[in-house]
Amino acid sequence: MKGRLRNTSLMASLAAVVVVMCGMLSSVPKTAAIPAFSRKYQTSCTTCHSNYPELNDFGEAFKKNGFKFPKDDASFIKEAVVMLGAKAQKEAFPEAVYPGEIPGSVPIAFRYSGNFNYNSKQPIAAGFLPRTDLFVPNTFTIIGAGSFGPTLSFWVDNDISAGGADAAASLGDGYLKFNDLGHALGLPKDTLNLRMGQFELDLPITQARTINLTPYDVYSQASIAPVGNAACTTIGSPAATPCTTNNPLQFGIPQRGIEIGGYPNDGNFTWSLAVVDGSNNTAALRNSKDVYVRVSQRFNLERDPESRNAIQAAGPTGPRDHTSIRFGAFYYYGRNALNMDGSLFPGFGTVHEPFYRAGGDFRFKYRHLEFYGVGMYGHDQNLLPDTMTGTGFVRTSPVTFTGGFAQAQYWIYPWAMALMRYDFVDSPTDFFKGVSRYNTRNRFSPGVQFLVRANIKVAFEYQHRWERPVTLSNGTTIFFHPNGIVSGIDYVF
Amino acid sequence: MSLPGIAAKAAFAGSTMLALAGANGANEIKGKVSVQGIKSAENIAVYVDVIADKKFDPPKEHIVVDQRKMAFIPHVVAVQQGTTVDFLNSDPVGHNVYWPSISGNKKLSHNLGTWPKGEKKPFQFNDLGTASLLCNVHPEMSGYVVVVPTPYFAVADKDGNFEIKNIPAGKYTLKTWGEDGKPTTQAVDASAATATVELTVKK
Repeated sequence: MKGRLRNTSLMASLAAVVVVMCGMLSSVPKTAAIPAFSRKYQTSCTTCHSNYPELNDFGEAFKKNGFKFPKDDASFIKEAVVMLGAKAQKEAFPEAVYPGEIPGSVPIAFRYSGNFNYNSKQPIAAGFLPRTDLFVPNTFTIIGAGSFGPTLSFWVDNDISAGGADAAASLGDGYLKFNDLGHALGLPKDTLNLRMGQFELDLPITQARTINLTPYDVYSQASIAPVGNAACTTIGSPAATPCTTNNPLQFGIPQRGIEIGGYPNDGNFTWSLAVVDGSNNTAALRNSKDVYVRVSQRFNLERDPESRNAIQAAGPTGPRDHTSIRFGAFYYYGRNALNMDGSLFPGFGTVHEPFYRAGGDFRFKYRHLEFYGVGMYGHDQNLLPDTMTGTGFVRTSPVTFTGGFAQAQYWIYPWAMALMRYDFVDSPTDFFKGVSRYNTRNRFSPGVQFLVRANIKVAFEYQHRWERPVTLSNGTTIFFHPNGIVSGIDYVF
Repeated sequence: MSLPGIAAKAAFAGSTMLALAGANGANEIKGKVSVQGIKSAENIAVYVDVIADKKFDPPKEHIVVDQRKMAFIPHVVAVQQGTTVDFLNSDPVGHNVYWPSISGNKKLSHNLGTWPKGEKKPFQFNDLGTASLLCNVHPEMSGYVVVVPTPYFAVADKDGNFEIKNIPAGKYTLKTWGEDGKPTTQAVDASAATATVELTVKK
């Protein structure tokens, strides 16, 4: 083992570590609580968020209803909307533009978040990493969301600044949603919706609305085969041939596409089917589109039927989320493409490498306790140029990974939460790239979070990470834990 | 009972009782509350403090505090000690009603829980002081139940005017309670048919 690693160049190891670090420290796509809704309804953030940006049962119902109160929305709006045409214009359609509405004031909100990082000491051979770093990434986000009438809703969020002055920023979500299209077809309420634009997939556990300071490791996992004959040979490919798999897809990144889905039966059953580009780069990387499917079923465990059917359960000391457990499954399929212009393998055609991600998830809620987790398997076909024929490609061992996370969180007070999270990714490929000492990368992240106000949060997270190898100048390989503490401030207005 | 009139109804409930008791007179105290450093005199409660050697039976009529459009209506209600208040939920969303203390006494805190739209939950206020009504999921919701020792009380309107009717002739101590103002105490002589007072509540 050590002998093999010694053969890996120092630069390659460093590069691999840097890639992983960059992935972890990169700006997490963030969605936030929407003070614009607080203004519109004159209500506190806690109406929809027990700990923003995570949604409580009411917030979920509000979002699923097209950013409107699930019942009697109009009576709760404290700020008159602007009608884009009289309601009676409906009768004149198609001879007139169908009437709509926009919010009375510009529904804009802002969010700032910055982390204070404390990094454990690491070997200088692994590169310089400051022991402390103040407020990184320093992210300022603008968010606009609302409804354009009874059946249309929209969302746009963009990181104006991420990682410092004039640093690159990016669009998070930007979509238009047609709500309850199934109503016209006589389907049960919320059975069919249509969303188009750029959005986070209907992930089992949302990344955009996570309360965590760092993204879920498995959501950031890409399938990139090691470059170098030795590694390819080791994972089963013919000797002296290059690995090709180079799939940048990360599950947690917003994608451009079209999604249909629904959540009938008061959201107990959910389904979604999305056709997406496979990346959110400025232009699609390939011709083919990817498909994502997810279904889930929630079992409402409230005993009292009236409480069970209400938006929130009636607790002895106030409304709360339902005691419930949800199970879900998801499947993502695509065909990655390489060598489209023939520059990678001159004389060969385009390499089409089918890949999929499949997994399951659960979420359990009981009073002040939540427990949830995701398990995922990733599989990428790995085709190699057939040097015997000089034209086609042959299959070799696929690039695979297994990963997931489990998280428990407990509200000590309505403003204080303790949480414990475990991430793991088992990736032989990354292991051969020198990312970790073993195939499996484990991370334990206990933390606490405090709502200083309903819109201001302070969070702390300790990260105990897996061991990483680093090769010293004398050829010796040593291992170290790049642990750290992240504390963040976060506010919206 | 129409909800906008609840505060006024509460104010007059005690007066009615007094008339039935055959007290020696049916005078009234009219007055105006002025404020200093406070936005408005609206919703300042004015009441006659404890009268020596005089006890009053709690009224049988219930007072209703509604939760409508995510607000407590009325915002301030004054009630005589021993009054039962019915808390109604008129919203299609879940609410609860709790008060973390009565005039700072946390031992008197209470949480009524949650109940669906259209239903009421009663609570008899036997302790003097002010209960700050809150909802734990909609923290912007705020209301007050001011529990006073006598049936002679009123809540000032938006101009600061108040009227306490059917009060027997005598000398009393008037007190105020306001959400933002300090309590004010003032002696009043209600020997005449109508006594007029000017009260000033400071922040």
